[in-house]
Amino acid sequence: MNSTLLAAENLVKTYTSRRGPFSPASTVRAVDGISLSLARAKTLGIVGESGSGKSTTGRLVLGLEQPTAGKVSFDGTRMPREKTAEWRGLRARMQLVYQDPLAALDRRLTIGVQIGEPLEIHAIGTGEERKERVIALLKAVGLRADQADRYPHELSGGQRQRVVIARAIACEPELLVCDEPVSALDVSIQAQVVNLLRDLQEERGIAMIFISHDLKVVRNISDRVAVMYLGRIVEEASSDEIFREPLHPYTQALVSSVPVPGTPLKQRIILQGEPPNPAARPTGCAFHPRCRHGNARCRGETPELLPIDRDHSVACHLVASDAPAGRMM
Amino acid sequence: MTDAPLASITATAERKRGARLPVMVGIAIFWIAVMIVIALTADFIRPYGITAFDLKNRLALPGNAAHWLGTDELGRDVLSRLIESIRISLLIAFGSTLISAFLGTSLGFLASHFRGIVEQGVLMLADFQAALPFLILSLAVLAFFGNSLLLLTCLMGFYGWERYARIARGLAISASAQGYAAAVSQLGAKPSRIYIRHILPNIASTLIVSMTLTFPEIILLESSLSFLGLGVQPPMTSLGNMVGYGREYLTTAPWIMLAPALVIMFTTLSISILGDWLRDQLDPTIR
Amino acid sequence: MFAFLLTRIFRALLTIVLVVTFAFVVLRMSGDPAQIIMGPDAPPEAIAAFRKNWGLDDPIWLQYLHYFGAILQGDLGISMRDGQSAVELVAERIPATLQLTIPALILKLALGIPAGIYAALHRNSLIDRMVMAGAIAGFTMPSFVLGLILVLIFSVTLGWLPSGGQDSWTHAVLPILTMSIGGAGILARFSRSAMIEVLGQPYIRTASAKGVAWARVVRGHALPNAAIPVVTIVGFMVGSLVAGAVVVESVFSWPGVGRLLVVSVANRDLAIVQCIILLIAATMVVSNFVVDILYGFLDPRLRSNQAKA
Repeated sequence: MNSTLLAAENLVKTYTSRRGPFSPASTVRAVDGISLSLARAKTLGIVGESGSGKSTTGRLVLGLEQPTAGKVSFDGTRMPREKTAEWRGLRARMQLVYQDPLAALDRRLTIGVQIGEPLEIHAIGTGEERKERVIALLKAVGLRADQADRYPHELSGGQRQRVVIARAIACEPELLVCDEPVSALDVSIQAQVVNLLRDLQEERGIAMIFISHDLKVVRNISDRVAVMYLGRIVEEASSDEIFREPLHPYTQALVSSVPVPGTPLKQRIILQGEPPNPAARPTGCAFHPRCRHGNARCRGETPELLPIDRDHSVACHLVASDAPAGRMM
Repeated sequence: MTDAPLASITATAERKRGARLPVMVGIAIFWIAVMIVIALTADFIRPYGITAFDLKNRLALPGNAAHWLGTDELGRDVLSRLIESIRISLLIAFGSTLISAFLGTSLGFLASHFRGIVEQGVLMLADFQAALPFLILSLAVLAFFGNSLLLLTCLMGFYGWERYARIARGLAISASAQGYAAAVSQLGAKPSRIYIRHILPNIASTLIVSMTLTFPEIILLESSLSFLGLGVQPPMTSLGNMVGYGREYLTTAPWIMLAPALVIMFTTLSISILGDWLRDQLDPTIR
Repeated sequence: MFAFLLTRIFRALLTIVLVVTFAFVVLRMSGDPAQIIMGPDAPPEAIAAFRKNWGLDDPIWLQYLHYFGAILQGDLGISMRDGQSAVELVAERIPATLQLTIPALILKLALGIPAGIYAALHRNSLIDRMVMAGAIAGFTMPSFVLGLILVLIFSVTLGWLPSGGQDSWTHAVLPILTMSIGGAGILARFSRSAMIEVLGQPYIRTASAKGVAWARVVRGHALPNAAIPVVTIVGFMVGSLVAGAVVVESVFSWPGVGRLLVVSVANRDLAIVQCIILLIAATMVVSNFVVDILYGFLDPRLRSNQAKA
């Protein structure tokens, strides 16, 4: 059995919009050449601001959108085209957890019916078995069996997200993509849901992609972390490494804003300039207008994502041209 | 099922409207119920056959012991004909409303599912339908194809389909772009399951409101056509048909025209009141 | 603005093409045109000659092109009944229809819009309730019922006005009234709700809070903004100048286009029906087009958006 479950190569996704039949089209590159791979039962965190293309990346690797260029393979085979029977069958093996659980649930069906729906769709088990399975799933995500007859609006935000998670793991998927699963929840519940996801992942050996704008949420759950900026990965390393030794100036800024218990926040790097806008992408290194170290080369030439160490890649001219100097920063 | 946001909307709507409207709505519902009962039991409650002549009692005045609403020139009982007309008119309007809702919703779903050319085609047809007065379109079809009850019902079934299509398309697109429909699709469900099991129940209340708004319009349309002599054909009778016939006796026996005319007005008025009220209750978003 | 105009012209033309196509398809579906035009008793040789003459043996797409070409040249066939050109027959009825519909349109505007504005400015007053009740009655009552009731009152009972025909101006009074009352009701309800919506907007409250006289707020801010949705419905009414006359002309035996349409449908005089439908469609399309352009002038927001696109 292959240990790499998911592999994506040079994914590009552009969106074209046209305001009328006679007006010129405008193109936005949401994802601009991303490669990543994920081993079974491991977790990859993807961090970035809004507009960095992290959610689009999540949808691309699930095959919910077709990449403009590049390819995705799951368990060694290429992702089938969207909405084909093959594609639908594959949904039992990979699932998505949404940012807004209320929107992801049908407000006219009870949560029990909705949790059992994937079993019905993929024709798993008999009616009785499905009922038992739904009860087991409710318990697994920390809900009570009698809550099966509730409607989504009768539950709290955290409980709804538990329902979405229960539905996602109903078919025992091998891959779970969580797209900002806790950012719509109260801070007090965020940790509970993250812990639930981590426990489920460990118990069931699910490979997970955890997407968030919040580095400290990702840190708790991820084995590896990829940092995205304007559609590209700018740095990738193990979770510990990224926190111990961030190399890209953008990652450094992100890491500097995460408080460490027991120590005051020091040398916090405040990012200057405009937040990234995919429709108006700067030349060269996309980060250079906000970078403290930007030079002429950064403005003219786009840096490649290059390995610095065995397990640490970064896309920055300053680091790649002079690795030790980069580390001094 | 209780729905918290729905309940609060209902409450505000009631506060805004005051206590006066529900009386009107009550009367409207009562009238509609009476009409439905008449339509369903027409064969039992009709005192005479619709073509039974009572030659001794021609053009009898209303209030006559044998003929409560009087008789026409051939001595046919106006009440019996009225009861039969209510049944035919409601039957046509009901059948047509169902056809139109089914057709429009299906086309709307097709447009939202396939997007692209299919969607453009549906929207273009909807624009076309909205651009041409329906009465004129139906006159054209009747001119070309002749007439029958089935054809008339199917023809009226094209009335208003574009409204359902627009509603169904809009709501289905917003549901599939983000939200529960996208989520179910992502579970691996087939489109038929997404549309029938999830989207349809979610937009049903909006569709039902639209139905109550097109229903009276279909009654008016059918009665206009029948009045012009191009709708329901004798010996069958409908409300518009009776008005057209009664017109000949306007000077001598105005009740023949007035009785069906009043039924048309009260029925369309009642359904409009009910529809407006339902819209305020269920779905404040559509106008 | 240019792209906006181009899109609108394109859509208007497309609608016309669709109507022509609709007429063609329905005409062909309803049976063999040769049989219909020559009558059921025509000898087979005559029908064969007719088919050849009119190109009915050509492939269907070629027939469609010929049909289209003939319509572009203003050739809409001849009436089956008297062999006259359909276009001429229809054209000579147009003035009679306009004699009713134009005064009716003016009356609708003159009654409906002021009533709606007054009702909106004096909400829940007696007049407001009367306007709303009248409006609802106005459009739930079919025009043929209203027309007959007016005849019953003014011709049969009071004997003031004639009940049908076209001999003097008094003959036009009842049909014009019949057409106006329902339309005025719709307009009143529409202007009322447009006005109420505008009056609830923050800029109106701001203007009146700043101390601008209420009459000036209404004239300077509320009315121009409420005009935008009302223009749509007026445009629709202008578009149905011909179509709206069908029922009323039949009630009052008024020899206009509408009456001609009903008679032609009853006689299955297809050339005339088709000609009137194209006329009505063209009126609708042109008035919709004008409304779209007017919109651009009335609503600067729309204009700048479209210019950017």
